[in-house]
Amino acid sequence: MVQDRRVVALFIGSILLLGVIIGGPLVYAIMLSFYSAKSFVGELQWVGLANYAKTIQDPLFWQAFANGLMIALAAIFLQVVLGVGIALVLNRRFFGQSVVRAVSILPYFLPTVVACLIAQWILDPNYGLLKSILASFGIGIADWSAQGVTARGTIVLVSVWLWTPFVITCVLAGLQTIPTQLYEAARVDGAGAWRQFWHITVPGLRSVLVVVILLRGIWMFNKFDLIWLLTKGGPLNQTETLPTLAYRKSFLEFNLGGGAAVATLSFLILAGVMLIYLRLFPIDDAKQGR
Amino acid sequence: MARISLQHVSKSFGGGHGPSAVKDFCLEIEDGELIVFVGPSGCGKSTTLRMIAGLEEATSGAILIGGRNVTHLPPKDRNVAMVFQNYALYPQKTVYDNMAFGLYVRGEDRKEIDRRVKAAAVSLDLEALLDRKPRQLSGGQMQRVALGRALVRDPDVFLLDEPLSNLDAKLRVKMREEIATLHARLGATMIFVTHDQVEAMTLGDRIVIMRDGVIQQAGKPLELYDRPANTFVAGFIGSPEMNLVNGQLVEDGERLAVRSGDLTLRIPENTFATQEKNVTLGIRPEHLVIADGSPLEMSVSLVEQIGAQTYLLGMIAGHKMRAVFERRDEIRSGDKVPIAFPTERLHLFSSAGGATLRKTEGRVAVHAKECA
Ligand SMILES: Nc1ncnc2c1ncn2[C@@H]1O[C@H](COP(=O)(O)OP(=O)(O)OP(=O)(O)O)[C@@H](O)[C@H]1O
Ligand SMILES: [Mg+2]
Repeated sequence: MVQDRRVVALFIGSILLLGVIIGGPLVYAIMLSFYSAKSFVGELQWVGLANYAKTIQDPLFWQAFANGLMIALAAIFLQVVLGVGIALVLNRRFFGQSVVRAVSILPYFLPTVVACLIAQWILDPNYGLLKSILASFGIGIADWSAQGVTARGTIVLVSVWLWTPFVITCVLAGLQTIPTQLYEAARVDGAGAWRQFWHITVPGLRSVLVVVILLRGIWMFNKFDLIWLLTKGGPLNQTETLPTLAYRKSFLEFNLGGGAAVATLSFLILAGVMLIYLRLFPIDDAKQGR
Repeated sequence: MARISLQHVSKSFGGGHGPSAVKDFCLEIEDGELIVFVGPSGCGKSTTLRMIAGLEEATSGAILIGGRNVTHLPPKDRNVAMVFQNYALYPQKTVYDNMAFGLYVRGEDRKEIDRRVKAAAVSLDLEALLDRKPRQLSGGQMQRVALGRALVRDPDVFLLDEPLSNLDAKLRVKMREEIATLHARLGATMIFVTHDQVEAMTLGDRIVIMRDGVIQQAGKPLELYDRPANTFVAGFIGSPEMNLVNGQLVEDGERLAVRSGDLTLRIPENTFATQEKNVTLGIRPEHLVIADGSPLEMSVSLVEQIGAQTYLLGMIAGHKMRAVFERRDEIRSGDKVPIAFPTERLHLFSSAGGATLRKTEGRVAVHAKECA
């Protein structure tokens, strides 16, 4: 009994601690969005929903939302397609398999800052490695950071390079859980490689993919460091996303209330999308169907 | 439906260099026959079956189905259907789709698929379960779905790898009967793998007994029971196991006898080859008889009442033996029971190698006949 009570106490304690650590800043941010403030130390002034009204009417907010969505969708799509493809290759037995597997997840270990520096090093339109290599063949390249499409594309490419290994690792683990007998049954049933992939591999990876897409979706939509390091939202807000917009408003324009409103709306949008997603694709596949 | 011919089929894993799992396997399976592969764990039953299915490539030898050499064909071109030990149902598909998949993959017409799946569902009593997923089924139901999946395909050959081993004893008997009925109705060629000798005896038109990748004997169930080719088969078929005693052939008056310690038993005339001196004598427990006045006695150490029968374990002339009689309530452990050995029921094997010494059944005859 004593032990039971201790367990309960520990449990409640940890919930409270988590609540304070996670909930505290969240509540504070939401609260800020109802005030007008020029700094964290200055006087707060209650403005009600004015920050939200302004934010919603701001075309930049919607552009940032669209940019974020585009970048996230493209990045997830490529990460998942490449991740599954590479995992399928790595799952076959071949010489040097373990070495290749280890190398393939290396980028995941790089800190984002380092990765972005490397990327800029390679891609820099004036001094980059790519430019000098191409130049030696007499080919010139345009400045990727000068155009919205190429800037967004570069962000997607770097994120694919950085986080596809995460998908590979998860999918490789998922592949191990599919019984080989299912493939044998399918072969006897007459299914070729393509049918085996769609009827056995994909359903078998379903739970893994649902979680991976969920996680990658949240992370990509909330991505700040990568975008800030590569483009700072430029050119002309073409790569501005909700997190960079919130940061810009709060810390560069000293509009704390406006930044908090953007952050809160971003949080609500993401939460809404994720709830719908989980409704459509429950992680526990037993809940699907009947 | 089709004949199957296995000609000198061998298999070794590890790129053909490892120890061999199946050695020089020769067998002719008639159209519509139900063949049972039995043998202890690891003897190569599954490997042989998987080679017939095309899931493993034979290292050497040839496999013919319906006269067609399929040795190097992939499974889909062999028109075989297989039921796996743990069923291998597609977990995300419904019962209906599990059964329909093989037809769908082969580009069968939708209406035809529906007709065949429904027909199989009726014959296997699965109609009420068609919308369920495998995890919502009991073991027996999954087993029937696995059978149904094979059935709808109308294959040349059914391959069943220990399909009943995950079921409880009662259900096993029931499913065994269902498979026998199904076989009788379809008249299909079937190969059934088991390590249960009762299943083998009751189901098989013929039984193939394997050990360490080698066929020990192939024949009708009662042939194997009556004339086991070697001590391994003698011990494997029949329960409780045949009593085996090592001894020497000696002259006992006019007749030949086997002597082992205090036990001397005359053997029937002109039945066995008698060149070898060291022999193994065998007699099944159920062939021993209680005979008042017999000079031989069993001192009983264990009595097991099975119901219809009484199992005894004890010593006869210094040899540990088992005996089975019609129910005898009065026998207690410690009793001495007079026992006789009916001469015509005796088996004789060579002590070296254990092959039978029975004259009609030449030592290599079984193998040679199949491989000729
Ligand atoms: N993929 C494989 N790689 C290497 N060795 C194998 C492989 N599959 C089977 N073997 C070996 O081949 C031999 C025969 O195996 P098999 O599965 O055919 O036995 P079995 O008679 O079906 O046994 P059980 O009754 O346990 O199912 C065994 O010694 C086994 O270890
Ligand atoms: Mg097996």
